[in-house]
This record gives sequence, structure tokens and C-alpha cells, in this order.
Amino acid sequence: MSEPLLSVRDLSVVFAGEDGPRTLIDSLSFDLGKGEILGLVGESGSGKSLTCRSLVRLMPSPKLAITSGTVMLDGKDLTTVSEADIREVRGRDIGMIFQNPTSHLDPLMRIGDQIAEGIRVHRGVDSKEARAVALDILAQVGFPHPARQYNGYPHEFSGGMRQRAMIGVALSCDPRILIADEPTTALDVTIQAQILRLLMDLRESRGLSVILITHDLGIVAQTCDRIAVLRQGRLLEIGDKRDVLGRPQHPYTQNLIASHPSMPERQALAVIAQEPVPLKARPLVEIDDLHVRFPVTGRGLFSGGPREFAAVKGVSLQVMPGETVGIVGESGSGKSTLARALLGLTPISEGHVTFDGADIVTERTKALRKLRRETAMVFQDPYNALNPRLTIGATLAEVLAVQESVPKERIPERIGELLDLVGLEREFASRKPLSMSGGQCQRAGIARALAVNPKLIVADECVAALDVTIQAQIVDLFRDLKQRLNLTLLFIAHDLAIVRNLCERVVVMYHGQIVEEGPTEDVFSAPREAYTQALIDAIPDIDPDKPLVSPRGGDALAEETSGLVTGEIS
Amino acid sequence: MTVALAPAWKAVRRRPTLLAGLILLILFLFIALLAPVIAPYDPILQNGDLRLQPPSWGHPFGTDNFGRDIFSRVLWGTRIDLQIAVIGVVFPFLIGTTVGTLAGYLGGKVDTVFMRLIDIILAFPFLVLMLSIIAILGPGLQSFYIAMALVGWVSYARLIRAQMLVLKTVDYATAALSLGFSGPRIMFRHLLPNAIAGSVVFSMSDCVLVLLSGAAISYLGLGVQPPLAEWGVMVAEGQSFITTAWWITLFPGLSIVTLAFGFSLTGDGLGDLLGVRE
Repeated sequence: MSEPLLSVRDLSVVFAGEDGPRTLIDSLSFDLGKGEILGLVGESGSGKSLTCRSLVRLMPSPKLAITSGTVMLDGKDLTTVSEADIREVRGRDIGMIFQNPTSHLDPLMRIGDQIAEGIRVHRGVDSKEARAVALDILAQVGFPHPARQYNGYPHEFSGGMRQRAMIGVALSCDPRILIADEPTTALDVTIQAQILRLLMDLRESRGLSVILITHDLGIVAQTCDRIAVLRQGRLLEIGDKRDVLGRPQHPYTQNLIASHPSMPERQALAVIAQEPVPLKARPLVEIDDLHVRFPVTGRGLFSGGPREFAAVKGVSLQVMPGETVGIVGESGSGKSTLARALLGLTPISEGHVTFDGADIVTERTKALRKLRRETAMVFQDPYNALNPRLTIGATLAEVLAVQESVPKERIPERIGELLDLVGLEREFASRKPLSMSGGQCQRAGIARALAVNPKLIVADECVAALDVTIQAQIVDLFRDLKQRLNLTLLFIAHDLAIVRNLCERVVVMYHGQIVEEGPTEDVFSAPREAYTQALIDAIPDIDPDKPLVSPRGGDALAEETSGLVTGEIS
Repeated sequence: MTVALAPAWKAVRRRPTLLAGLILLILFLFIALLAPVIAPYDPILQNGDLRLQPPSWGHPFGTDNFGRDIFSRVLWGTRIDLQIAVIGVVFPFLIGTTVGTLAGYLGGKVDTVFMRLIDIILAFPFLVLMLSIIAILGPGLQSFYIAMALVGWVSYARLIRAQMLVLKTVDYATAALSLGFSGPRIMFRHLLPNAIAGSVVFSMSDCVLVLLSGAAISYLGLGVQPPLAEWGVMVAEGQSFITTAWWITLFPGLSIVTLAFGFSLTGDGLGDLLGVRE
């Protein structure tokens, strides 16, 4: 590598806490070359975001301070330059984009103006010229109709387009370095693939250097040149991506790679060998031509009668006892609504749902009583799923008391058993959710589900918010519980790799309908539908030599499906 | 008990606003409790020889036009004004919280009925409505409390309802529903404790408003009746002597401001402690 553009040496950041200082970033050193994409990988709390914020001295809290080290850009040390100078650097030299474009774009300002503003401020041109440059940038970041879309507000665009707009804002000052902090985590896989491609294109066309922060090794494998692995504020390993991924030196990196729910061939072993279900068995769940529609609010006063939005349109599905079924689809595909409808949590507009012989529509009371005692749900965000004011023990005790499944005096004992089942220490009974990690909370959430003695567990994106190593543990836990307790599991996810690892049968949903269904291996190895194929192709593989979009489908397919995915739901 | 209080004390000590507010409130509480002991004179004893005396060592806050010791009257007045602030807030708080919880969680017709009722109450200026209710019930503190309870719950209901609308879509509410928990259990055990922080903070600033409207109502002659010592009444009585005997109005006025300040600081501090931003 030639002369580095940005050079970080021994950077340390210390948090002045109430219980004494804590070092969050511990003498970090790395270089960023011109036109290079550097991946910063690590789990939550590893300090990857903080590192990048420290580079431009945007500390999220006044209690954080850079205590040592240098950040050299053009012979200037960014840790010591004046406040006015660092403001010049932000934007002009170093642009930033973030995970959630919605909260980083001004909702009351046209997106074109948000891009033009930076151009006016940093380049000192008049507003007409700024508009021309902004239009050009909009086209570069992939807006098909820049002139028209210039006047759009952020809420009028899909998540992917908003992220493009934010990249546009970051590019408005023509920076040489772009810091992208988890830019695709909130996006669907097909959109993620497009944004990553855009970043790579910008690198080609502008010679932009990019620091890409992510927890997904697949993304770094596909886009980065070099990888830096961070853990607890320390740099464990840095090097060419093929070296790091192929021959990881540090045990933590090896573990991280092993935990990646990758798509390669190995998972055929992992799927539980399931006894063929006897043909005459009655399905536990039977869904027949289910429709769920919601009234659309917020329409104008004179726009006529009430309008409806159909979230689920004519879905039929059977789940046999003991089966593990994965439901995949992108956001808005209706998979969560389907789950809620089958648990009787959302009113059914049309069709039938039968749980263990009881029809939710015609025998509502009987079916609901059965559902409440024999099904349970596990949620996406472990912190949101548990009442923050109750200890785990109190949460479990309440479920046991309400369900009256065990006698009162046996409740403390049962709580202990439940915690054992999900692999939590018994002392967690006295802890509250906020004092626990995400993985521990999710285990507690699963314990609460098990407190019901359920026949069916519906897991709605239950690992999406967790780090990869924790994801792997939770999936293992599910696999273990399934075997031990003979559970039926409905596993909803947008992450195809995890579904492939865990489920025997997979259902692909798109716009409220089932587009493909079948045994997992068949669907993944020989998808019948173009949409399924596109979903599978969009997963960034951990193997750098497997390109992001398959040569078969190519760009045409990606574009075509993106149109489908981002299209207005009518 | 000391074990349970230790972390609370630590949290309070780190917040100077909260600490200052609590100290002020506790000070006023002690004054109210000990008024009979520390007040040097009888607050309603008239003394024709001592009319309109300026502050002196014998009468630190001076005397009024009936020769009553203002210092003693201010001390005794603490009892009534503290009572006004607390009772005037507790009932609206309880009513508003219950209504807000039901309206927000149940939605539909319950929500519509309560929200329209709130609209009607809000359509009238606050003081006009208070005065009409008191006029109907007859002057006196009791009428004031009833009027306060009838009018004041509106803000709490709206605050809690807004929180409930958000919270009822949170995953743990769905979880509770899917586990077969009853409506009241979900509302009052799971959602309300998580929704109430904002209202607790607001109740502190509401104490200030109630205190001031209590003083205003008494000033208009519809609240506390003379010769009972109450700060608002004292200000009203001193009004005609404001140019010649400023101390009659100044000291009760300062007391109102200081007590209000105490509530206000406590409210700010609590908001910080509970993570509520107004």
C-alpha cells in the first residue's frame, strides 16, 4: 500500500464514569489508503462506532475523551486541531452515513435541498449551482428521476432510497473519506446488496476511501479490501480480507467466522434429522385462505369511504406437530401479521385458522383458551419484549400463576427449572432486563415462552437484533429445546441462512402471499421462483470469491426485484 | 429499609436540583407541622395597638391592618397552602391516570367518549370553569378541591393516554396478551408503571399551578375565608396597603414563590432521574 490517506496511531478513548475511568478504546492503530474500503468488524460494544466518531471528534457524550494517540490527515493531527478546523474536516474531508437514515435526515426538508445545503456551505457556490450539483449527486447515488425526486421529503421514500439520499448528503461536500456506520443493517437483503454495490461503484468512480463498520462478516467479505477486527476496544487483527477470513490468527476471529450463519454446504448436517411425520397425523395449525386487512387511516376528509390495506392475502398453510417451519420474506411481506393472526392477536378478515382442532373464527372462545395455554411467542427486540420494571423471576412467576400450570408452592422451583432449560444461571431470577445483555434477555424471553408449556412457539425475528455469536447460541438453544420438549416451531426471519440452518420446511412470502414453499434444501438449492432466487443471491457470502449477485441473474434480476420490493404497496 | 434507600439517596445526591427542591419541600413540611410550636403569636389574634407595624425584632415580618403578626400568619398559612397543593393534585392525578389508562388501552368508544369530554372541559378557560363550579358549590376550600378534581384530571388523562397508545404496541404488551393475561392486569401491572413517569414529573409542576390558582381563588374571596391565614388571602388583604405597608403582601407572596420553586425544582430533578423530557 502506498502512502496512507488517514493514519491512526495509538488512539485511546476513556469514559470518565462515576466509578472511575474506563478505557473504551485501547491504543488503536490503523491506516486507510486512498480508494480503499476498510471493514471494521466487531460485536456490539466493541467500540467500532466510537472509533469512527473519535476520528472526527464527534463524541456521543461529554464524558468521553481522547486521552492519547494521533489521527493524521494531510499532515494534520485531527485530535489536536481547533474546533473550527475539525468542523471543516467533517463533511469536506470525512463524510459519515449511519444505520438509520430516517433519524439522520431532516424530515421537514426536501432531500435535494439537504444535499444542496452541504454544497453551498462547504463549496461556497450560489444556490442555483448547488442545485445543479445536487441533481448530479442524486443521479450518482441511484435516483432514477433526480429532477422530480429532488423535491421529495424523506418519508416519501423507501428505506433503501433514504439510505441513498443520506449517502448523497455525505457526498455533497466531495469528501475523500466516507465513514459508513452499519449502513445496511436496517435494510432488506436485496436492498442491502444494492447499497453495497453503490458504495463500491462510488469507490471506483470517485476514488473514495471508505471505512465500513459492520457486524456482518458476509458484508466485509464482499465489499472490503482489508478487515480490522475489534473487541472491547482493542484491535485483535488487521489484514487483507482473504488472510483474515481464510487464516484467522486470533481465536475470537475464528469463533466469529465459525458463528457466521453462512450459506455454504455444511448446514445440511446441521438440520435435525427428522422422523418423517406420519401421514395420518392431524396438523397442529391449519391456515386456510387467510386474509388480514387493516383500515388505512390518515386519508383526506373527502377521499371517499374507508380504504383497506391487505397485509395477508389468501395464505394457506399446514404445520404438523413437531415440525420446524421457517417463514422468510422482506419487510412488509406479511410474515409477522400471519403469525399474529394465527395466535389470535390480530382480527382475521377472511378465511380460517385452526389450532389443534379449534377454529379461531367460529369457536373463538375455545380456540383462544387453547392458544393462550399452548402457544407462546418470542420477539425480535429482547429488551422490548420484557417488562423493564419486573425482575425475570417476577415475570416468570406471573406467567406460572396466571396459567395455573403448577401449584403455587412449586413456582420458585419451576422458575429455576426454566432458567436451567434456557441456559441462564438461577441468580438471573432477581435481575431486571436492563442489567442483562441482549442474548441473556432473549434467553429470558424464551424461558417465559416455555413457562406456558407450549406445543407451538412462534419466534418472530428472534435473533435479528443479536450479535452473530449470540445468534448462533440462540439457534442452538432452539434446536436443543425442540428435541427435548418436542416443540413445534414457527420461525420467522428475514435471514435466510439461519432459516436454512434450523428449519426443515420453508415458506417464502412476498406481498402477503406465499410464493414458494417446500423442504428447506429443495427451496434453497433449486428455487422455482425468481424472487426466491434473488433473495438467496443477495446474501453476502463469507467467501470473498463468491460475488454478491450471481452471474446468472446479474444486474437485470437485481434491478427487476428491487423494483418489486421498493414498489408502492397498493 | 436502609438498604433499599441507599441507592435512592445516591441517585438524589448526584442531582443538585432534585436535592435543593426536596430540601425546600421538607423545610416547608416541617414549618407546617411545627407551626403551633414555632409561631410566636396567635395568627388570628387582633391587636389594635399594633396596627401596620413595619418589620422589627418583635415582629420580623411586621403586622397587618388588624395588628396580627405576619410572621405567625405566614407560618400557619404553610399548613393550608401545602394542603391545597397536595390535595389539589392527588385527586386529579388519580382520576386522570385511570381515565387515561382506560382510554388509551381500550380505545374505540371508551376513548371517543373520554376524549370528547376532555375537549369540552378544555374548551372553557380554566379559571372560568373553576369559578363557575365553586360559585355553584359555594365558596370554601372543599369546593375548590372538588372543582380541581373535576377540571384538573384532563392533563393527566391526556399524558397517560398518549403513553398507553405507544406502550400497548410494545412487544411485552403483545407477549402478555398472548400469555392470556387479563386486560386489567396488562393495563395496571404491566403498562401503567411504565407510562407513569411523565405524569409524576408533571404533577410537580402541577402543584405549582394548583398552588397559584388556590391563592388566586382565595384572593377572589372564593377559597379560604378570612380570618384564616392563607397566603393568597393575605396578599389580597394587603393589597389596599401596598404603598404604605408593603410587608403585608411581600412576605406571603415570597412564600408562594419559594414553595412553588421547591415543587418546580423537584419536578425538574425527578424528570432527570426518571429520564423524562418535557
